[in-house]
Amino acid sequence: MSDGKHTSVSTYVIVALILGVITYVEFALVEYPQAWLGSGWTIFLLVALSIVKFVMVVMFFMHLKDDDRTYSGFFSSGMFIALATFVGLTAMFILPKAVASTRPDNRAAQEAGHAVPHELLDNIETRGASRAPAEIADTPAVADRSVSVEAPTAPNDASTYNVTPPAGAAAQGGATASTEETEATASTEATAEAPGAVEAAAEETATEETAAAESTEAATEADETASEEAPAAAEEASAEAPAAAEAPAAAAISWDKDHGAAVFNANCMACHQMTGQGIPGAFPPLANHAVEVYAADGGRDYLADAVLFGLQGAITVNGMTYNGVMPAWGHLADADLADALNHVLTAWDDEPAGFQPYVAADIAARRADGLSAGDVHAKRETLGLH
Amino acid sequence: MSAEASSHAASGAGAHPAPYRSSKLPDVKLLMWVFLASDTMFFGSLIGTYLAYRERSLVGPFPRDLFDIPLTTVSTFVLLMSSFLMVLSLHALRQNDIGKFRLWTAGVAFFGAIFLGFQVFEFTHFAHAGLSIHQNLFGTTFFILTGTHGVHVTVGVIWLVSLLITSYVRPMKAKDAVYLEIAGLYWHFVDIVWIVIFTVVYLVEFV
Repeated sequence: MSDGKHTSVSTYVIVALILGVITYVEFALVEYPQAWLGSGWTIFLLVALSIVKFVMVVMFFMHLKDDDRTYSGFFSSGMFIALATFVGLTAMFILPKAVASTRPDNRAAQEAGHAVPHELLDNIETRGASRAPAEIADTPAVADRSVSVEAPTAPNDASTYNVTPPAGAAAQGGATASTEETEATASTEATAEAPGAVEAAAEETATEETAAAESTEAATEADETASEEAPAAAEEASAEAPAAAEAPAAAAISWDKDHGAAVFNANCMACHQMTGQGIPGAFPPLANHAVEVYAADGGRDYLADAVLFGLQGAITVNGMTYNGVMPAWGHLADADLADALNHVLTAWDDEPAGFQPYVAADIAARRADGLSAGDVHAKRETLGLH
Repeated sequence: MSAEASSHAASGAGAHPAPYRSSKLPDVKLLMWVFLASDTMFFGSLIGTYLAYRERSLVGPFPRDLFDIPLTTVSTFVLLMSSFLMVLSLHALRQNDIGKFRLWTAGVAFFGAIFLGFQVFEFTHFAHAGLSIHQNLFGTTFFILTGTHGVHVTVGVIWLVSLLITSYVRPMKAKDAVYLEIAGLYWHFVDIVWIVIFTVVYLVEFV
């Protein structure tokens, strides 16, 4: 190529100066935010400025401005595919969210006017999103997430309890207690008083969503004065369902293996893997480890604490160090956690000597401690594991 | 350069017919552009992944706790200026000015090394603050993206230093400029990738 067609040094200098100034402007836009600009326009400006820089480098420093079109063709094809990938990725992550709100069941819930009360939302553990690790470690987990509710007073609104009629009737008996005591205790008493409720309640595998749907159903059935209290009553009923399931387990010390596996696969498998092997260096194994923890002095309680309140801090398992965070699973029902723990202890290893399957009451008892993930770690140190 | 090579190829075509050639463009340069196009898709996916998982980390540290905009602005500026030295170096070689070619090339490699130094400093700082590649989604996507970019810069520095050494081993002439040019294309590409990363990863975080 003849020298005449080359970009001159002075052009390079000017381009470099402009690039430097743009970089400073970008820096200033972020470091000294302009209130009048607003965040939307600031982002727009930042992206626009980076595109200008991008184009200037490609045009002048990479000489695409004067060079053969073939090069530009190849490069723009790559850019096009990259942008398409980019848009595709974004769509994959953003669209499902948008579509979810139009799903029939979600829409039905919205139309029924069902909304989660603020008091409930405050009690939902966000698993530390947007909090620093130190803060998570220092914050005790909420011990009791149940919401104390006013018991229905209308004598005829037993209809709102048609989810679990006998247990509900019993809970009404213990209703005065629920304002002072924790609901867990109240409902445990209730089921103890009404063993006939057990079968009906055990069948009731009420998830939050079905409970919500039922609460709206129940609300329409009830008379006007009772309808205000109906969601709360159904809330109470759903809290009882898992608690009620403990009664047969306590009686026979047998537990639902399929349910334990299902809870484990839904919540624990992503990190600890289906085989309980974990991921070396990232997520500790449970197989060949949980049983030795269980056998340690205080290990049985510790395992319940770890699932209820999480675990944060460096631990050593089979000679490998893990320094991550186990989230707290206290939002799951006692019976679910009990069965998941039983699954962990029996699925891959011989069950430890003197193994007593966890029952919901064991978990409920641990729940009262309200430990933080850091406390659980401190507790682990006292177990005398190698 | 390409015109020189073209006329070369054109005159060469008369003496030695080369039926397999469909283009008059220098092979190495065309190859480099094809590679850069593929690398664009590569980085496009990495940046897209970073953005898709943005603000989805369950545990800290989070980007806002760690990013140091003044520091990153300086390293961005260093990389931009290395691109400027790169074009000066190519210009010098085309003028057969070996002295200046060596000076500017050494400058590019030096600035690239400074950029890498900033990155090592940044990564060390982040690691001390508790961010690792398996700490959270931010750690995973951030280290994969900027780490891949850092590897590209490292390769670029090694490439430029090897060209510099070559100029001492055997005489480099203006006709060798195409080899410096493709190294330059690669270097500028690494620069424009950083221009995008600087904006979408660092700056936007603080708006």
